[in-house]
Amino acid sequence: MALSRDFFRALEDIVGKRNVSEDPAVTENYRCITAQSSAHYGPVNTRTPKPLAVVLPGSTEEVQQVVRLCNKYKVEFKAATTFWAAMGFIGSDNAIQIDLIRMQGIEIDEKNMIAVVDPFAIGGTVQVEAMKRGLNCNVAGVGCSSSTLAGTAGWVGFGPSSIFMGIASENLLGAEWVLPDGEILRTGTLGAEGEWFCGEGPGPSTRGMLRGWMGTAGTMGVCTRIAIRLHPWPGPKWIPVRGTAPLYMADGLDNVRAYTVCLPDWEAYAKLFQLFYEADICYLAHRQFNMFGRDIKTAMVEIFTHPELQFRDIPRLVEDPYLKEQNAQMKVDVQIVMAGFSDRDLDYKEKAFDAILAKVGAHKSEYYLQQDIEDFVKLYLLRLARKNYNYTLCSSYEGNFGLHPNVWKAAPFMEEAAALKLKWEQEHTGIAAVGGDSDMGSVSGIGGGGTTGWEFFVHFDAFDQESIKNADAHIEDTQRWMFEKGLGVDFGRWNADCRKNSGYSYTQDEHDAMYSKLPQPGIATYQYKIREAFNPNRLGGSYYKTMTPPECK
Amino acid sequence: MATKDSLVTIFGKANVLDDPAVLAAYAKSHSFDPGFKPWYVVKPKDSEQVEKLVKWANKTKTPLVPVSSTGVKLRGDSVPSVPEAVVVDMSGMNKVLNVNRQQRMAVVEPGVTYDQLNKELAKQKMTIPGSLKAKAGQSVLTDVVEAVPRLNPMIQWNFFDPLRCAEITWGDGQRMFTGEAAGGPRDLEKQWNNQTWQVLYMGPWMTDYFRFVTQAQGTMGIATWVSLKTAVKPLVHQLFVAEADDLAALESFVYKAMWTRFPDEIFILNRAQAANVMGKTVEEIEMLKEVLPPWIVAVGVAGREIVPEVRFEARSKDLIDIAQANGLDLKEGISNLSGRALYEEVSGTDKGKTYWKDVYAGSHQNVFFLTQLDKTGMFLKAVREIAEDLGYPTEDIGVYIQPKHLGSSYHMEFTFPYDPDSAKQEGRVQDLVDAVSVAVSDLGGYFSRPYGKWAGIQLNKDAQSASALKKLREIFDPADIMNPGKLPI
Amino acid sequence: MAKKSLYEMKLPKGYEKKLEDFFPMERRCSNCLGCKFVPFEKIKSDRFSRNCPSVWYYNFNTYSARGRFQLGQNIIEDGYVKFEGQALEAIFNCQACGACDVGCKITRFNLEPLAHNIALKERAVEKGLAPVELKAAANSLAKQKTMLPDCKKADRANWAKGLGLKDVSGKDTAEYVFFPGCQYAYDADLKKKAKTYVKVLKQAGVDLGYLGNLDMCCGGRAKQMGFRDDFEAAAKGNGAAWAKAGVTKIVTPCSDCYHAIKRQYALLGIKVEVVHAVELIAELVKAKKLKFKKSVDKAVTYHDPCHLGRLGEPHEDWNGTEVKILNQIHTWEPARPRYAGTYGIYDAPREILAAIPGLRLIEMERCRENSWCCGAGGGCSVFNPEYSDAIASERVTEAQATGAEAIVTACPWCEINLSGIESDNGTFTNVVDIIDLVAKAL
Repeated sequence: MALSRDFFRALEDIVGKRNVSEDPAVTENYRCITAQSSAHYGPVNTRTPKPLAVVLPGSTEEVQQVVRLCNKYKVEFKAATTFWAAMGFIGSDNAIQIDLIRMQGIEIDEKNMIAVVDPFAIGGTVQVEAMKRGLNCNVAGVGCSSSTLAGTAGWVGFGPSSIFMGIASENLLGAEWVLPDGEILRTGTLGAEGEWFCGEGPGPSTRGMLRGWMGTAGTMGVCTRIAIRLHPWPGPKWIPVRGTAPLYMADGLDNVRAYTVCLPDWEAYAKLFQLFYEADICYLAHRQFNMFGRDIKTAMVEIFTHPELQFRDIPRLVEDPYLKEQNAQMKVDVQIVMAGFSDRDLDYKEKAFDAILAKVGAHKSEYYLQQDIEDFVKLYLLRLARKNYNYTLCSSYEGNFGLHPNVWKAAPFMEEAAALKLKWEQEHTGIAAVGGDSDMGSVSGIGGGGTTGWEFFVHFDAFDQESIKNADAHIEDTQRWMFEKGLGVDFGRWNADCRKNSGYSYTQDEHDAMYSKLPQPGIATYQYKIREAFNPNRLGGSYYKTMTPPECK
Repeated sequence: MATKDSLVTIFGKANVLDDPAVLAAYAKSHSFDPGFKPWYVVKPKDSEQVEKLVKWANKTKTPLVPVSSTGVKLRGDSVPSVPEAVVVDMSGMNKVLNVNRQQRMAVVEPGVTYDQLNKELAKQKMTIPGSLKAKAGQSVLTDVVEAVPRLNPMIQWNFFDPLRCAEITWGDGQRMFTGEAAGGPRDLEKQWNNQTWQVLYMGPWMTDYFRFVTQAQGTMGIATWVSLKTAVKPLVHQLFVAEADDLAALESFVYKAMWTRFPDEIFILNRAQAANVMGKTVEEIEMLKEVLPPWIVAVGVAGREIVPEVRFEARSKDLIDIAQANGLDLKEGISNLSGRALYEEVSGTDKGKTYWKDVYAGSHQNVFFLTQLDKTGMFLKAVREIAEDLGYPTEDIGVYIQPKHLGSSYHMEFTFPYDPDSAKQEGRVQDLVDAVSVAVSDLGGYFSRPYGKWAGIQLNKDAQSASALKKLREIFDPADIMNPGKLPI
Repeated sequence: MAKKSLYEMKLPKGYEKKLEDFFPMERRCSNCLGCKFVPFEKIKSDRFSRNCPSVWYYNFNTYSARGRFQLGQNIIEDGYVKFEGQALEAIFNCQACGACDVGCKITRFNLEPLAHNIALKERAVEKGLAPVELKAAANSLAKQKTMLPDCKKADRANWAKGLGLKDVSGKDTAEYVFFPGCQYAYDADLKKKAKTYVKVLKQAGVDLGYLGNLDMCCGGRAKQMGFRDDFEAAAKGNGAAWAKAGVTKIVTPCSDCYHAIKRQYALLGIKVEVVHAVELIAELVKAKKLKFKKSVDKAVTYHDPCHLGRLGEPHEDWNGTEVKILNQIHTWEPARPRYAGTYGIYDAPREILAAIPGLRLIEMERCRENSWCCGAGGGCSVFNPEYSDAIASERVTEAQATGAEAIVTACPWCEINLSGIESDNGTFTNVVDIIDLVAKAL
């Protein structure tokens, strides 16, 4: 499909010649190679469609003009920023890709603890600007390399810090949104007062249509700026780092403590979480390093903290008697970081922590108390800068299982889930054999606690076609198990209804068929109506889930 | 079928009221806005009846006005703005459907009051974070859906906390759950059996349906239950207070205290409002106005089940130190006002026969809006100047400032007591409220809950939000039957 | 059309050589943004958070190392993209500064983005598609043994006149041969600095000589520009000259030469001990053979040259292959050197500056292994000066933000490219060769 010359000329007029391209060297680069991305519907070795053009707007006004142009010419569009995952890419041959890389501003109101951020302000930069002012931001589990705006407005956005700072939705104070029809909606105080402190109302909160549990993944216009709630940071203006690449460690964070908790069983794990929620002692809390796998996680931390080691050393490290014993103790484990806002506060948190451990029969891992390792973990969790470790083992991964958000419900299933994965590791060669359990997840997905993140890491090789296929088959099997147990949609299939394996969007008929059995169909039919009202030309693609209501057929 | 017959078919005769005196009571409120007597009042007993009612109303184009609280109507949002309306009195649906200690959650119907809920929660050593001295008949559901500020903003990660999931019958007659509850069967029992406790309020997909009923004054649909995030009841607790001669003197302390997250409750009252809160009679209030300091900041500290004393002591001492560093003396009580007594009043419901803000002069008017702490002084000055110009006694103006949502925004509320039997006073207060409302808006005060005239003031400032809201209203209430006349767009 | 065979390709033995050898890496890049930002833990501000000049300037993803991995795949797997238009622009507008390499290797153990970028250039050069300015430079290398325009081989040794330096191309011998590199040999200002280097080293008692007529370009920039054959010819020519002259130790003040000889020559089997002048001077200071007596009352910031810092790590021979363990974890047998910038030359220049009385060093936010390129690398200053100047301007702005009065560096290319640049805060001219400070303090 070719782009009309008039359309392209108009794009050039809006953003300038150097900020728009239809050269294949550029457009081909904005196709997601889905096996390289945790697409949550595969993995499959395909690419998303090629955009007709890629455009780099530099302001909200330019975005608005581009969106209006797309409406005029009935060309689909999708905006993205860091292009971490498949959802940021278009889903049809009649679409352009908007890359918001030129919009990267960050403004901070220190006193009122608010940051106003542009799309290409990543978690790592927002955080560092916040820390200069004694503040911090929720960095979503996707890592500090991802756009704060995209995580907050576009997708889910919980992570290790969510127990103290809330999920991204809770921190979204206001949004400037170029709606899919080209109008600009400024939510809450922004629209009326030009202030960013409240994104709700007036009256019923229209913000409700811009994101729910997740955002609209770029299907409902373009969010061009948001305000987020910042949170207190009692540490230095910049976390001092010692070491040279690739090993960096936090230096001198005396009022921040990082521990790994070793638990006797999953019931204790659930109880621990409940008590963490009640005692409000956690600054960050995450089951982190287990993502490499139950058998090799300690070996991996050894490798990361000793740059001379490589993956070839894993088998040897796994057999090291001391590491073996430490690893065994950490079969059921979780990492937490506590931050003291005063000496008394830290003292309280330490005492509460000890009391909680005693109640659940847990203990602190001795391995993680080694200075360099503690400092590595502190930096890792506080800055969430190494999210790409997700991919380090085999080059790609997909998350799966994604057990029930209630830890009490999910915990009893953990060993069974781990055993199923272990079976696949042993009977097939397509996924890394790391000991079955490779669960990683937030102690809480929302502020104050109450919902757990569970995600097993299925490590596979994006270069190896058989590995890709085998990982997909494994996830198909875990989805079968999830349904059998009444645990719902497997994390590895979350987006299976958003994009076809071919990389293209679903049609409305296909979505209608998929959602016809929903226990409460209103969640899909009202989204249909919302889309019709705000996106009448349907230019967003099928990440937006809709079902045609009977009265509209 | 005649209207009444239809309603009787749905609700039974006893639950369809049309006694003129009863209808008149439903039309009476503190608001100066004109209201209509409803034609009928119906009292649903379950969600099915509500759904049937809304479907019927869609067919007959009958306006519906939901109300859940009992007692004095403070804002007028539940008084019909159009004739021929049916008031849907939800107060009879008053069951606490579930309390879950493990998840710190409760599920309540619209008619459940704070006292009722706290009694249930206390059995499991829990409590619900409250709003300032709620009226005895206050529906907890309405309070949270209408985003009335909580005394404890520190457990509000979300602007609408403690509101979580809800069951809503939208204006088009479709009934659904919201949040994680919408992802499963529309059956609470089944969800509980699957250990789903309606914790996650978002979505469940890409739309936050629950947000559409918040601050909506019943214009989008009718909620028939909500789930609430409750809290573990403190084993040790003290409300500390500090006094100041002016509001500005409190600012740096409040900012710092909010930053530490050490407080549980935290709020500011001026002398008149503190006197209104504490005084049971006109005389008591007058006496208190003589002796209380101009401004009070109250800060609660709690210790719960894990090392309660350690937590309490650490946070108390730290807050006292912070106060001192910011020029304040934070203590368990100041002369004539103990923290404990203040806590008792603010955290409990109003036990008086007359609503507490009406004790002093017989009636009152409120103007409240959202702002940021560092701007509150500007509003205070403007309001005082207007009051002075209109001859309203500034010493009678009550001020309540409440951080919301971890301090992202601050609810600022001015209370103007007046004698309702004095036409002069009433006229003056009416002028005052009008002038203050406009002035506040001009200065950037945000009527997030736009009752009465505030709706016009606020929505006129933001055409695009009004347009978006109109589109949403057309989706969820296509026949415009839900409390029409409110939030005109 | 997909060339399926690429998935069944024979994995290379030893370091990757041709573009197709990189196909597994192209498939395995995970788009983490490590090649667009300073390692995230090290970001100190939003303003100076970026690491790759190319994608910072051009913005399209194709201009990043991740983009080039995908570009490579698009070229070799499917033929979706050809060596034309913006493909060539993206390929050649890379300074080969290696910032992406450091960023990538923070978390990845099996990707070589810098080598891949250069492999793309090499393929384009093979096809005769390099920018004309670069072709001219390569031509000059072949003919005049320098890549600098309008410079003649015959004039190369002029810089050493009057120094009384031993000419090791004849009968003289010396422990160290001073290898000035083209800029110090030809540039009028830099020639003086070359002399200063020699004087200082000799003053400290270093047994120093030079190559006389045998001296010629190291060819390192040809390598960065994708002219592999020209580079190899230069390397072999130098190797032969050194062998003829019996050279065992080289000292160079040029970071490009240092990197070329230390890392790239070694890959070709040409092995000679090479030190950068700052390493030697730092040692001499430590050994008290150089003593700073005069105070230099100045606040300066130090610009780490890419090829001395993160790319200045020692070469290690390796002839291993990839193996998979635990089903799908890839690693190397034997252990593969991981050039992550860990062992670059960062401390020596700082030790020198610290030893100068009165001198105060203020670090820029992007320093050591995460230094921002001066813009001159990869031939960019030759064929795209506007772009190269923009990169330099960004560096000068960063230097000015420290409050320092001068930028000190240890590379002639950086020195030239940063001098006289318009930054956010006006023109900045105070770029100082480290040797000038050394000389001033002696």
